[in-house]
Amino acid sequence: MKIITGKVVVLGYQGVGKTSTIIRYIENTFPQQTTPTIGASFFNCKIDIDDNIKVTLQIWDTAGQERFKAMTPMFYRNANAALLVFDITSTNSFDSMKGWVQELKRNVEEPMVLFVVGNKIDLPEQREVSRTEAMQYSKSIGASYYECSAMTDQGVGVIFEKLALELVKLSGEAVNHTLKVYNDSELMAKSTELPPTDTANEEIVNLSLNDSIAYGNPVPAGCCFN
Amino acid sequence: MYATKQPSLRIKQADLKCKNGCGYFGNADWDGYCSKCYRNQMEKERQKKSKQSQQGDHSKATSFSKFEEKKRQQSDKKTKYFLPVFRKTSSLKETGRPEKYIDIRQMNPDADKLLAEFISAYGEWGEAVRKDFLKCVQSFTSKIIHELDLKSVEELADIAQNYYQLYNNRLNNNAVYQSVTPEVRDKLLDFFERYSMVSLYTFLFCPPSTNDEEKDLSIQDRIRKLSWVNAHHLDCCISETSLEVRDLVYTAINDLLGMDSMKAPQEKLACVVRCCRSVVEVLQHCQGGPVSADEFLPALIFIVLKANPARLKSNMLYVTRFCYGARLMQGEAGYYFTNLCCAVSFIENLTAESLNMPQQEFEAYMSGEVTCVSAWESALVACEGMHQLCEHLSLLKGLSERMTAVRDDTQKLKDDMHRLKEEINDKVTSVLERTPLVIQPRKTILPLTMEFLKSLPPLPDKVEGAASDEVDTAPKYYQQNITMNQMGLSNPKPKLQLDITPCVSLPSASEVKPSLSTEFLTVASPAVDKSLDSITPDDNSYLGLSKINYDIDFSDISAENSIIEDLGESRRSPTMSFTPDPFSPMGTGCTIMQSPLVPSAAEMPRAEDPPARKNDFVLPFLEEIEKEGTSEETLLDKVEETPTICLPPPIKPTEYTGFSKQGSKIPSIPCNTGDFSSLNSTPNAGSSKDTN
Repeated sequence: MKIITGKVVVLGYQGVGKTSTIIRYIENTFPQQTTPTIGASFFNCKIDIDDNIKVTLQIWDTAGQERFKAMTPMFYRNANAALLVFDITSTNSFDSMKGWVQELKRNVEEPMVLFVVGNKIDLPEQREVSRTEAMQYSKSIGASYYECSAMTDQGVGVIFEKLALELVKLSGEAVNHTLKVYNDSELMAKSTELPPTDTANEEIVNLSLNDSIAYGNPVPAGCCFN
Repeated sequence: MYATKQPSLRIKQADLKCKNGCGYFGNADWDGYCSKCYRNQMEKERQKKSKQSQQGDHSKATSFSKFEEKKRQQSDKKTKYFLPVFRKTSSLKETGRPEKYIDIRQMNPDADKLLAEFISAYGEWGEAVRKDFLKCVQSFTSKIIHELDLKSVEELADIAQNYYQLYNNRLNNNAVYQSVTPEVRDKLLDFFERYSMVSLYTFLFCPPSTNDEEKDLSIQDRIRKLSWVNAHHLDCCISETSLEVRDLVYTAINDLLGMDSMKAPQEKLACVVRCCRSVVEVLQHCQGGPVSADEFLPALIFIVLKANPARLKSNMLYVTRFCYGARLMQGEAGYYFTNLCCAVSFIENLTAESLNMPQQEFEAYMSGEVTCVSAWESALVACEGMHQLCEHLSLLKGLSERMTAVRDDTQKLKDDMHRLKEEINDKVTSVLERTPLVIQPRKTILPLTMEFLKSLPPLPDKVEGAASDEVDTAPKYYQQNITMNQMGLSNPKPKLQLDITPCVSLPSASEVKPSLSTEFLTVASPAVDKSLDSITPDDNSYLGLSKINYDIDFSDISAENSIIEDLGESRRSPTMSFTPDPFSPMGTGCTIMQSPLVPSAAEMPRAEDPPARKNDFVLPFLEEIEKEGTSEETLLDKVEETPTICLPPPIKPTEYTGFSKQGSKIPSIPCNTGDFSSLNSTPNAGSSKDTN
């Protein structure tokens, strides 16, 4: 049994639908979790890859306002993955997202799963950022590109599932010391509230720096292009 | 020590003696020493302290008491306005410091209490586990105390983190803990941290070797200077007047302030989490729906600004240093603590730009030139009356806003109503123009026509066969029209009809004798034309007139039910191009149409004279009506007078001439139908006109 706990930070300009996307996913995946979690900007969700691997995503929502930009490094410190959300109907949000990427590259040294997400594909007639443009950019930073619509629930679930898979891959490479990996079958009986850190053995592997902070090959985002 | 013994009723004499055992009585105020020993003790302390200050930061130690005093004042002020009374623990520090080598448990009743609570809650762990636990705690605390003066706080923090990790490993690997369930292991690790930190709190919290105090004071000063910042400046939607929201905000502020009174890092973290949850609740109250980080962070900043917690920086640094790393990095507590760090960092670096206000305005606020009073501010600082005043002001502001909104809406509604009225007026006039009201023959004629109709039967017999098909298809309305035609026949003067309403005459005519009307229908039908042709094929006037007659029927029917046969008929006879004009529903058509009819009518009597006979028949009534109707005299009157001279018996041709003459009355018929149609179905009437 393998448990992977990854911290996912969600970055993006104000109003691009960061929280909406997360909430849409949480609502769909965990309908039994109602008010206590919905409404907070921190989410803990468990994804079962198969019988042997379970991934716990700790999703940290961030404030997208320009004035809080200076504080963002506190949020993505020790993050294992970043969801860079932009609004396909706003070039401004796309440019702003590029700014986040540069900052991430400057400040984060550990390998990190990068996902670029274009939100609001339910408004194709107002589209300002073309798919190819976003794809090219994502490729250039070594990220995967996905499109979704939090409003109509298009392609939201896929993003988080792929994210979990990428984290599993990342843990397989074992070049990240912040990503918590536990091999403990007994652990599964534990209560879900406490992070499994406390009792399990942590695999700590020496850090090796990559040129790109992003890890893994960009996954062709065909799944949401239909 | 003395306090713990108080419960027993009798105090032994030994307990009152000096701790040093010199034989004199001690005093609790002097830490249990006699006056002499206490003085000696104090002297020793002073020497120790001077040694330390020589080693460490000299200036910090001397200015320390001053800082303490300031802080106490601030926190005292806070406690006046908020319910929980925060115990000042820092005062212990000065007195406690010299005794640091004394058994830690002795000077930490809190730690003792914690231990007792923990054992009672998780009593199942055996003696071996407890011993090992205490051994670990002892080694940890003594190590920290030993290193206290030699190493910086950051190094101590590293030691602490290492010990946490060590104990974590020990929990999982040591045989002693083999029987302990994973859940209790978690609790044990948590308790290890809590217990040792409570024991070491006085040494590790805000240690004099750091400039934490200065940071505290600077952030406190900063927040005080920013007291004018309100929710509006931060773009967060906290409604100041709602009582519920205010209560929640106070709860959040209290939770944040409570952080200072806790000793263990995880307890401080729990306070932050509670505070943040309250903030989320506030936001949910104010805006409804899920709360995103975009809204949460500004609200948290607002709360921090309004709370201005005592020793905020020290607390945060303490948590950062001595809280178990994994807890701080991840999980909800980690997230909220990061948010708090963000909020504090935002406050420290706050500029005019970050509040979206002009630099001048910002400086004016900062220098105190401009003050803005908000309900929050007054609640924290001013008296209750002032607070209420502010609250009422903001309430009034909201009310006036709503008032203007209501006024605007009222104006809009008024405009809408006016527009609707105009629209209806326009519609009505346009409809009236399209389908004018024309007055129809009056009721009084009816009995006459009835008699007259009865006198007519012989004619239809001829045509009946041809017309039988049409009887089926022709609607009642058609029949009515024909009866009207018949009535018109009886009084050939068109002007007479003006006074009389058609609605009365029509149903009565049809009611009286429907069968009869059907007979007349045959007369009016195209079949009549054919029969007419067969009888007098040469007579143009007859033909034209009959066609005119027919056309009237067509237009009438088309208003209600279009009969295709008729349509074909009308197309067949293009000669009557003039007819549409007289039959147009316009009332003015009456006089115009007469002119073409007159010549034919005038010719009629000469050729056969049947209308004359018929007119004679009707004449008495006509005269009666003539007296009533004061409308203009036309040529037709003259025409009619001529036939009266010779009165041939009513034979079939006369019937036809009657019909032909009836053409003069034709305009009245469409008007009649127009009237009906306007009552029943306006669009049809319009369409009928179009087809014409």
